[in-house]
Amino acid sequence: VTSAIETASTLDQATLDALRESVASVLAEQCDSIALHAFIDGKNALDKALWAQAGQLGWLGLGIPEQFGGLGMGAEGLAILHGELGRHSAPGPYIATLSAARAIVETGGEAMRATLLPRLASGEVSAAVPATLDARGLTLSGAGISGTLRCLGSADAGFILAPADDGWVIVDLTRAEVTVAPMWDRTRDVIDVRLKEATPVSTLPDAMATRASLTRAMALAVAADSAGGARSITERTIAYMKTREQFGQPIAGFQALKHRAADLATKLAVADEMVRHAVQRMVADEPDAELWATLAKSEVTEACVFVTTDCVQLHGGVGFTWDFDPHIFLKRARLNEVLIMANTALRDHAAAALAAITASGRSALELEL
Amino acid sequence: MTILDVQHDVSAFRRAIRDWLAEVVPPDWKARMARASNEEYIAFQRWWMAERSKVGLAIPHWPKEYGGAGLSQRHLIAVADEMARADAPQNRLFTISLIHMPGTLLPHGTEAQKRRYLSGVANGEVWCQGFSEPNSGSDLASLRCRAVRDGDHYVINGQKIWSSNSMYADHCLLLTRTDPNAQKHRGITYFIMDMRSPGVEVRPIRQANGRAEFGELFLTDVRIPAENMIDAENNGWRVAQATLASERGVISFEGGERQRYEIEAFYRNSLKTGAAWLRDVQLHREFISLLAEMQAARRLLRRVLEESERQGASASVLPSIVKLSSTVLRQRICSFMVRISGVDGQAFALLAEEPFGSPMFDFMSAFSGTIAGGTNEIQRNIVAERGLGMPRI
Repeated sequence: VTSAIETASTLDQATLDALRESVASVLAEQCDSIALHAFIDGKNALDKALWAQAGQLGWLGLGIPEQFGGLGMGAEGLAILHGELGRHSAPGPYIATLSAARAIVETGGEAMRATLLPRLASGEVSAAVPATLDARGLTLSGAGISGTLRCLGSADAGFILAPADDGWVIVDLTRAEVTVAPMWDRTRDVIDVRLKEATPVSTLPDAMATRASLTRAMALAVAADSAGGARSITERTIAYMKTREQFGQPIAGFQALKHRAADLATKLAVADEMVRHAVQRMVADEPDAELWATLAKSEVTEACVFVTTDCVQLHGGVGFTWDFDPHIFLKRARLNEVLIMANTALRDHAAAALAAITASGRSALELEL
Repeated sequence: MTILDVQHDVSAFRRAIRDWLAEVVPPDWKARMARASNEEYIAFQRWWMAERSKVGLAIPHWPKEYGGAGLSQRHLIAVADEMARADAPQNRLFTISLIHMPGTLLPHGTEAQKRRYLSGVANGEVWCQGFSEPNSGSDLASLRCRAVRDGDHYVINGQKIWSSNSMYADHCLLLTRTDPNAQKHRGITYFIMDMRSPGVEVRPIRQANGRAEFGELFLTDVRIPAENMIDAENNGWRVAQATLASERGVISFEGGERQRYEIEAFYRNSLKTGAAWLRDVQLHREFISLLAEMQAARRLLRRVLEESERQGASASVLPSIVKLSSTVLRQRICSFMVRISGVDGQAFALLAEEPFGSPMFDFMSAFSGTIAGGTNEIQRNIVAERGLGMPRI
């Protein structure tokens, strides 16, 4: 489905570099540590300001084909955006909205694409998706859709893309009961959506395909966000260690801490490659794309929890304060870790996919030279 | 048509290598080597070198003027990939001959040295490395093996250790101390030593994995002609950096690819036989995580190759990061194999026919990755100091 509507399969490196630089420069200017702390303390509306800009700059249409008002940059563009958002712990419903858009691009009906995608690309509406895809919160009866579902997405999300019994539906949220569930991670919104006999806007034609598409998109988004966040907080931590002096020298000079930092750098290099591998398999639309996307999520989010935990510790006393950065990244990492589904369950899915691919006589380990 | 004749077309080149390997590699070589004595193993290694030499693949990476084929990195990667795919024998006996010696002589040797020694490798000359000493391991620059000038010779006295295959070597890349009063990096001189010189004694060292690939060198009044000095007197440390840097690249890439095929064969076999570990959900999850890391490690090895073709790559710490990640991963993979093999896996065996057929041997051998070539602790120092800019105190 993807290849039929997206012409460019691989973008050239210069285009991707330009995208990264442009996203990075906007976030460096507007989402620095001071602005982020102020947002967390309720002193600015950084999430809204960034969202408005993201719409204008086309970030929200990165995964949406040009014919529907997007930039058509697919998994490569999305991985860059989520990586940079993670680097800055940027607040906003990006993972939910951009992943829902991907699922609609790949598995939505023609009318659904034409109606929803341009509005998502412009930022006019944001979307909510289930925080965990194995949750069974909604039921579908003759009267409509009812139930409660914990979702990733902001309080003013325009619609939800979610499973109801065996189908996947899109439900308008303007008249639904939406409650914000305060999270330790204050940089993303989690909402509880309560529906009572709601009429779906539309039903996705192939529930299995939608579920798989959303899983892939969210897995890549969460993995990229985690890899970016882990790298950023490691850089900040090492910079701090070069200025913090004890025993008459910067603590960055102590070998015990240097070795910890080197191990973090090694984990980051591995995490980046896992994300890149998932991107490459998704862009090439390989049968093992879902396997590598889910593994990128399970492995990278756990690495990110390890890295951010160590960054709190490497800061010493100030790492335990609200005013320093590490806890923000650690909390974001912990939420990322449990999104989509438990990493153990994702590994079980990947193992089943590996067995199926191997049984069909193919290899899931192909790499270009 | 020989393999080298079709090098203009990389896919034809690949096919030619594949056909040649299918023809020449004995299908039972692993089973034979699993039972082989040291002498049989060495004879087999020499036979394999001779076979490679016949088709021009003994030293394909060297410039044509020194007997090589002057192949591009793309071709070398194809050779390595095909060797790994076919599970062809590695040329372990010739690692120093093929990698470290040219890596040193090409940039630093005299024309006469290059002409004399580079071409010898295709004829089966074995090289070893005389760098580490019993008291100079990670602190290599503290080495004390003395070289004293005596007319047109230098006289060597001292001891070297961890010298792979030195028992079979014809020549040695030797680091010596010529100026004991200079700052430690500045008093080192690099020589080519003939291993048959009087005063050279080699004693094999039995390793924890049961084999004896290393030797210890005892050097007593060994006379080396001054013309065998590489670069200038007291300039040996700089030359040694070229030797150490040569370890990075295609050889590590091939190791990563071999591991991929091994793991894949192991997994297929597990599926086919309905291995017990597949039913243990915890082990299954662990395996899938290792696979993800292996894929990342293979990608990182490709990045090192890409980087080595660019200018200024010598300053990069990526090779250290890659060594850290892939050697620790190797250890974890082998550890996994040991755990799923139960008591049977503890039965003493050296080389095995099946991939991971002797998991304890592989596991014990994996320490060569984390300890040799600069311990992982030294790699961490390099990453932290040169890569992350953490101060050296």
